Amino acid sequence: MTAGIIREILHYADIAIFAYFVGLNSSYLGLILLAGLEFVRHLRRVPFAGTDDMFRSPLTLPVSVIVPAYNEGPGIVAAVTAMTALRYPRYEVVVVDDGSSDATFELLRAEFDLIEVPRVVPAEVPYHSRVLSVHVARANPETLTVVRKTNGGKADALNVGINLARHPLICMVDADSLLDPDSLLSVAKPFGDDPLRVAACGGVVRIANGCRVLGGRVVDVRMPRQWLVRIQVVEYLRAFLMGRTGWSRLGGLVVISGAFGIFRRDLVVEIGGMATDTIGEDAELVVRLHHHLRRRRQDYRVVFVAEPVSWSEAPASLRVLGRQRRRWHRGIAEILRKHRGMIGNPRYGRIGLIALPYYVIFELLAAFVELAALVLLPLGLWAGAVDIAFVWRFVLVAYGYGLLVSLVSLFIEEVSFHRYPRWGDLVRGVVAAILENFGYRQILAVWQVRGALGALHGRRAEWGAMHREGFDTVRESAGPVGVGLDR
Amino acid sequence: MLGLFTIVGKILIGAVVLIAAAIAGVRVLRKVRHRRRAALAAGPRRALLAFVADNGEHGSHDLVTIPDDAWRAAEPGALALLGKLRGEAHLALVSVFLERGVARSALAELRSRSRVRRARAAQVLGDLELRQAVPELCRLLTDRHDEVRVVAVRALGRIGDPAAAWRIIASLDRGDPVPSLLATHALVQLGAEAEVTLSAALDHPQARVRAVCLDALGLLGATGSVHRIARVLRDDAYLDVRVAAATNLGKLGTRSALEPLTLALSPSRPAALRAAAAQALGDLGASGAVPILAGLLGDDEFQVAHEAAHALRRLGQTGIGALVTVVEAERTRVALDPAGAHARPSASASHAQESLALWRVGAALGDRVAVPA
Repeated sequence: MTAGIIREILHYADIAIFAYFVGLNSSYLGLILLAGLEFVRHLRRVPFAGTDDMFRSPLTLPVSVIVPAYNEGPGIVAAVTAMTALRYPRYEVVVVDDGSSDATFELLRAEFDLIEVPRVVPAEVPYHSRVLSVHVARANPETLTVVRKTNGGKADALNVGINLARHPLICMVDADSLLDPDSLLSVAKPFGDDPLRVAACGGVVRIANGCRVLGGRVVDVRMPRQWLVRIQVVEYLRAFLMGRTGWSRLGGLVVISGAFGIFRRDLVVEIGGMATDTIGEDAELVVRLHHHLRRRRQDYRVVFVAEPVSWSEAPASLRVLGRQRRRWHRGIAEILRKHRGMIGNPRYGRIGLIALPYYVIFELLAAFVELAALVLLPLGLWAGAVDIAFVWRFVLVAYGYGLLVSLVSLFIEEVSFHRYPRWGDLVRGVVAAILENFGYRQILAVWQVRGALGALHGRRAEWGAMHREGFDTVRESAGPVGVGLDR
Repeated sequence: MLGLFTIVGKILIGAVVLIAAAIAGVRVLRKVRHRRRAALAAGPRRALLAFVADNGEHGSHDLVTIPDDAWRAAEPGALALLGKLRGEAHLALVSVFLERGVARSALAELRSRSRVRRARAAQVLGDLELRQAVPELCRLLTDRHDEVRVVAVRALGRIGDPAAAWRIIASLDRGDPVPSLLATHALVQLGAEAEVTLSAALDHPQARVRAVCLDALGLLGATGSVHRIARVLRDDAYLDVRVAAATNLGKLGTRSALEPLTLALSPSRPAALRAAAAQALGDLGASGAVPILAGLLGDDEFQVAHEAAHALRRLGQTGIGALVTVVEAERTRVALDPAGAHARPSASASHAQESLALWRVGAALGDRVAVPA
């Protein structure tokens, strides 16, 4: 009798999990198709986008690019050199050295001939560390400012940068990011086209591993050598490029990557800058911005641009990848907990009714369901609740649908931006989309569950030491760029 | 259930194979198309470059007689080239476009049902700087799609016909206006002849219109409008408009702007306005403002004190002298303070030190104006 009930429960649990997978992949597919429509729209408008006019206009809104840096020695000079040579009429780069214990500051000082200036740092947004000194480049004091401060974390460093930023738009960029020359023009353009409503704009982040990098610029896009990173390329395409473009079209974008996002400075100051009590400070800022503007009943937009892009290093080892994904998922869990009052609340429109519930069901819980499937399916088989024919068909449909979604992403990428010109890279992308289902997804789920549980238990987050080799900017080799991570 | 799984599984396998084939197919098609277009465009591109290198004196007939399919392949490059050319070469290339009937078809496309076609046509007419298109482009300023209106404003700015000034100003006075900065840039491109219209629009009931016109007048260097701008600074009901008036009075740099800007520094005025007025006094270059600005270094509002310090730096030796005086007074105070080196520096001295440090950097570079505020 009891065994029968258990078998029934296992049977229905397996069916529920199957329905969940179908729902999850269908939602991805929907977002990707929306992204496809958006790309078509974008590409049809390129001839009259007016990017050159924006570059020539003396009225284009100036931007402060804020770069928090912590032990970024190997790559900092190349990254800052590239950032100071972007195609944009008026901007400054503010590097905030967050108490690095390596030679980050010394390298910058030697390269840019920095001189100390006694800048008064306002406290428009709170920061908890101590500013030690402010420096400007002797040859170009208007373009580059470097701040040294005691260690206080990324969010704290960003807050210092926000206080020192002189321009109405602030662009937050990771120190290991390589920006395309037109990326700032592209990501700032929505503010010029719709200045009354655009509050923030996210730019797409792609993986730089394997690409040829010269002078801090990605000059030849290639697939990475490691399969672990190739799988992440497909994942970034599907989740970041397509997913966020889809959410932007739906008016429900709640994540702008800290690696490349631009905000109206006055609004960021109004909401108190970056939160220092969460790991996912970038996404938290966007959710808080939605919260603030919705409560004020303001007509606003948070948008996403798919091209040009910022390039970042992706983890090439399981250990580093695991740390990154635990952190990301912990960030999601913390944000959702902090803003739980917005979830399902009609006062927050699409954000409260669609985007945040989606994040709870299909982002936060997906890892738990994935692990549950890994346990319950064999258990159901063992208990006789389901037979082997059911199991293999279940796996085929659940993972096959996931594969289809990834391939649709690759197809849309091929139709729209086709960044990977080599046939070999295309084949590797397709193979990576298949391999993703065998081991990668499952181990990812384990890390994500650990990250989410860490947030629920309120354990102190550990950044740990990250190995970074930096970008190869000297030799024109085809070797992969260094492996590293944001903190 | 199993049957359903089997059917869905088969559909999925089919779809996966189909998508994989489609990815390869798209790549093959694109490569073939790209190769064909490159081959078609190669001849016209060579002819275009030779034509431009020759300053447009020879070869226009060759360009006009290029077959349509080859021209279509080369046209994006030709339009891009047009934006980079000036003078005779530009006029010569425009005449090639006109002879090929590009302007005629673009004018017709302005009435297309597709907003993308309308916007693209407006862009082409702007690139060609075709004055005959101004009335039609002005009509597009009321287009129901904002992206078309944006391209129309840009095109009108490129063409630079002052007759369009009122229509551009009117396009700001609607529920979904064209972007202010874009309109300002277009109005500035219309040149000094638009000054009368812009000055008259300072009485417009819409605050956005007044702010845009103030910025355009400032960029045009419309010194004849100083008194009207000073009136806006004094009387306007909107803070943003008054801030724009203060900023642009500074840009215009006339002596008569000193008094209204000084009045705007009164402690009873909002901080944003006082900061803008302090900055404008620095831009103005009037050494008579030094005592007033020096008095603002200890202001409670960070932005006001900050702007005052940097305005003093821009005012040259008199301003620098005032900053040095503040720093030296601070040194004396610290020396007398029992806390000695641990005494907390005053805000005014901190701002003065910052400004002096940047002045020294600028002095070493030989360009004191380029240093950031």
